Amino acid sequence: MGGLQKKKFESGAATNYITRNRARKKLQLSLPDFRRLCILKGIYPHEPKHKKKVNKGSTAPRTFYLLKDIRFLLHEPIVGKFREYKIFVRKLKKAYGKTEWSAVERLKENKPTYKLDHIVKERYPSFIDALRDIDDALCMCFLFSTFARTGKCHVQTIQLCRRLTVEWMNYVITSRALRKVFISIKGIYYQAEVMGQPITWLVPYQFAHDHPTDVDYRVMATFTELYTTLLGFVNFRLYLSLNLLYPPKIHDTDIFLVPVQKLSALSASLARVVTSTEEEEAQIDLFPTEDENMEMMEEKEKEKKLLEAQMKIFEGLKFFLNREVPRESLAFIIRCFGGEVSWDKSVSIGSTYEMMDETITHHIVDRPNVDKRYINRYYIQPQWVYDCVNAKMLVPVEDYFIGVTLPPHLSPFVEEREGDYVPPEKLKILALQRGESSGVDSLEEEEEEEEEEDEEEEDNDEEDQVEENKLKKMEEQRSQGKSLQVKVTPGKVKMENPVRLEQEEKAEEKRLAIMMMKKKEKYLYDKIMFGKKRKVREVSFLKSRNKYSLLWERLCSRRS
Amino acid sequence: MAAARRLKRVAASQPGFLTLKSNSTDLLSGRRKRVNKNKKKSWNKHSDINDVEEFLNDIRHQERTTGGLLAEKSDDSLFFLDVGQPLNDAQRDKPVEEEPVERKKRKGRVSRPLRIDLILQQDSLIPPPKDVLAYQQPNAKKLRRSAQRLEQLAAKGVVPRKQRQLLNRRPVERTTLKAVTEANNNPNRDYYDIWGQELKDLADPWYLQQTCKKRVQRPERLNEKPSTLPAVEVIAPGGSYNPEFFSHQALLKAAHEVEVVKQKEEDKIKRQLAVNKEDTATMETIFHEELEGLVEEEKEEEEELKDEEDVAVGAIVLAQKKTEKQRKKERALKIKEQRRMANRRMNNRQQQLFQLRSIKASIKQQDQKTKVNQIRRKAKQEAEKSQPRRLGKLKFQPQDMEVQLSGELAESLRQLKPEGSILKDRFKSLQKRNLIEPRERAKFKRRHKLKYVEKRAFKEIT
Repeated sequence: MGGLQKKKFESGAATNYITRNRARKKLQLSLPDFRRLCILKGIYPHEPKHKKKVNKGSTAPRTFYLLKDIRFLLHEPIVGKFREYKIFVRKLKKAYGKTEWSAVERLKENKPTYKLDHIVKERYPSFIDALRDIDDALCMCFLFSTFARTGKCHVQTIQLCRRLTVEWMNYVITSRALRKVFISIKGIYYQAEVMGQPITWLVPYQFAHDHPTDVDYRVMATFTELYTTLLGFVNFRLYLSLNLLYPPKIHDTDIFLVPVQKLSALSASLARVVTSTEEEEAQIDLFPTEDENMEMMEEKEKEKKLLEAQMKIFEGLKFFLNREVPRESLAFIIRCFGGEVSWDKSVSIGSTYEMMDETITHHIVDRPNVDKRYINRYYIQPQWVYDCVNAKMLVPVEDYFIGVTLPPHLSPFVEEREGDYVPPEKLKILALQRGESSGVDSLEEEEEEEEEEDEEEEDNDEEDQVEENKLKKMEEQRSQGKSLQVKVTPGKVKMENPVRLEQEEKAEEKRLAIMMMKKKEKYLYDKIMFGKKRKVREVSFLKSRNKYSLLWERLCSRRS
Repeated sequence: MAAARRLKRVAASQPGFLTLKSNSTDLLSGRRKRVNKNKKKSWNKHSDINDVEEFLNDIRHQERTTGGLLAEKSDDSLFFLDVGQPLNDAQRDKPVEEEPVERKKRKGRVSRPLRIDLILQQDSLIPPPKDVLAYQQPNAKKLRRSAQRLEQLAAKGVVPRKQRQLLNRRPVERTTLKAVTEANNNPNRDYYDIWGQELKDLADPWYLQQTCKKRVQRPERLNEKPSTLPAVEVIAPGGSYNPEFFSHQALLKAAHEVEVVKQKEEDKIKRQLAVNKEDTATMETIFHEELEGLVEEEKEEEEELKDEEDVAVGAIVLAQKKTEKQRKKERALKIKEQRRMANRRMNNRQQQLFQLRSIKASIKQQDQKTKVNQIRRKAKQEAEKSQPRRLGKLKFQPQDMEVQLSGELAESLRQLKPEGSILKDRFKSLQKRNLIEPRERAKFKRRHKLKYVEKRAFKEIT
């Protein structure tokens, strides 16, 4: 056999992939430039299924890109800009070396730059695509805006990030889109719902932190470059959707260009495009579609109304922030839900009223004690605001007074399933939401109720308890010398509870079905039930430990 | 020709110039050709005016450089009397001036010109030549006339047309192109509605495609995300600044598990490297090892040797040639074997008819196995989608869990100490989602080894 023999590694997987260095040479770019290009265009390395085939027999760890991706990169116009920049740097170095200052000036004036608008449009062809990816962009922009302006990364980038984040926060305030907040040890997590998309982002604390050395700043800066462009366009579109002016201007002022500091005060409302008389929107009659019926429509209306009510929990309340609380975070949240907020003048600009104002309803303090106290306002710790937001209602203020041990701050991002441990604080809040009075008795009742609802099989512990109670009673009676009253009495009509009857029937059917199962199936069923029972046992164990050990533990941890 | 001859003559008259024709004997002998000095022709060639020329040159040189003949200069301008350091102030007050120019001395100011400037002054008697061309202007008169006319008109108030147009024209607003305004990270950059207007293609799509001006479409494959993980992963509820007891314990337990795994690995390595103390070599064991085989008795040695030889002999067997009988036998055996196997195979196939049920059962089992394997493989693939892939030389190192111990929990928001760095968290998240490959900082590698040389001073000491 001679002639056209099929050689190894010439077709198939081996030709679909290309190593990083080969790709770089094909594009004629340096390695940092290649990396930047890949990040900007969204080309990621792939791990092939059969590494040995692609690597032509060796198993050395290499970075592979798809060949078609690299071929697509060849058509990108900013590749030419990168090359121009490289030549610009070379010429500038020469001019510096020869101390030709006029040449240096001339070169600097004509520095090559590139724009990323077409890349954003290409990667996110529709607005909703961009909204889906805005999580990452927000986190990065918030992170960069907290950097110190030392010059390690461009100061302009930091300023741009600050401006974009302030614009975003103003949009969320105006559209009342905030839903959840969580204070963690890392930073503050926010979740907002914009155009049906839940968007989560993380804001670091404002304290200065030293930067870790093993983070590649160039990569982060490239990501930020792309994300600032994206976020700017998204902001524009969002402002447009709300009929607001972009770049944002403050309502009722004549200042043309509002500086970022004034906007970052977050205390003023934004100006709209149409400032003439507002027309009343006619209520559109909503007709149900074929799939839905009137019931579902009503439910949706109810939900909508509930949502609207939840967005206005702080309406009518006036807050004052003391100097030591995180101003921006609290101002953002309070304004998102309709409240008015102000702070001391020395903290930042934009404070609307002073501490001496009589109409302030809540004063947020984080110190052990306050010197002067006004009568008609509540002095509370900042966690109250966050907990109100998460509970979607005004939580009782008593637990948050100054000096009081705070209840734990629960995470709103956790969704408890059936049978999981639900902390008692959360149960209390659920009770409040349902409108029942918060008392210790009702709490116990609710616990029992929930247990019954969750599990069809009753707890053995509970049954034992009931029996024990009975025995206790009998013993008491015997000890008191009374004989047990056992005699024939006229029968009482037992009221048959239909609901209870139904439940009993269902339980009977279930029992029969279990008896009729085959051995194999029964074996599996037993296994599943064992697992469930284990969970229930754990939950009840935790609950029983709850009352005493919890208090003790919390005291210990707080004091230390 | 006449010019050439003149040149030759002039050259020949230069002192020390040797012509080709003349030979040394001619000059040295003293015999001279008789020349008629009365003719103009022979004046140039044979008259010696060098001494006069020298004298005149000298005078000209003096005039050029020092401004006049040295003989005519005064003594003061050429020499000065060096009397040394003045002893007291009174003597210093005497005007000891070298330069012809006297200047008033002011307190703290250097009013006297520098000596070097004076030396380099132009003081030759010969004035520099006048550049005649500079004074020559062909239309000087015309220009003078027109300038006068313009002055008269300006005095009257009439402005010529060209100037009027110049004044009317608005000044050009030059937007100085600064690279800062166009850069990507300009803080005041403008944004526009990028998704709003659907720009119509100004030109025909066919034309754009043929002239390679059409933008290449982005492949659909690139719109998928490389990982199914969400961009922002919220920390567990135990990571709250004021956590609930049990969730905090759960988080601590998770962190504890990680630590336990790490500890186990370390222990494993320690165990593998552990050495039994008794196995270390002592002087005694070394001594014994060295003496091994040296102090044995000879009998034992012989016996050992014999055994080896027997074994060796048994191994070598010479093969003998096969006879015809043996070959025929082998062939018959082979055929018999083949026939037996064929029969057996046929039998098997016939019997399989009765084994249908068990065959079906075994096929079912295999099917089930393959199905189970398929499901498992699919589940594994789905799980892998959310895991960080191996994209390069380094493996993905997940960061340490952010946990605050019970003793570190803050009492209030004011006293909260943030844990972990969000920058690092974002960087690791990018790596986890397969957007970038894990990298470590590039080390500084030297191309050539450093040479350490002792200084000579130290060499003497050491």
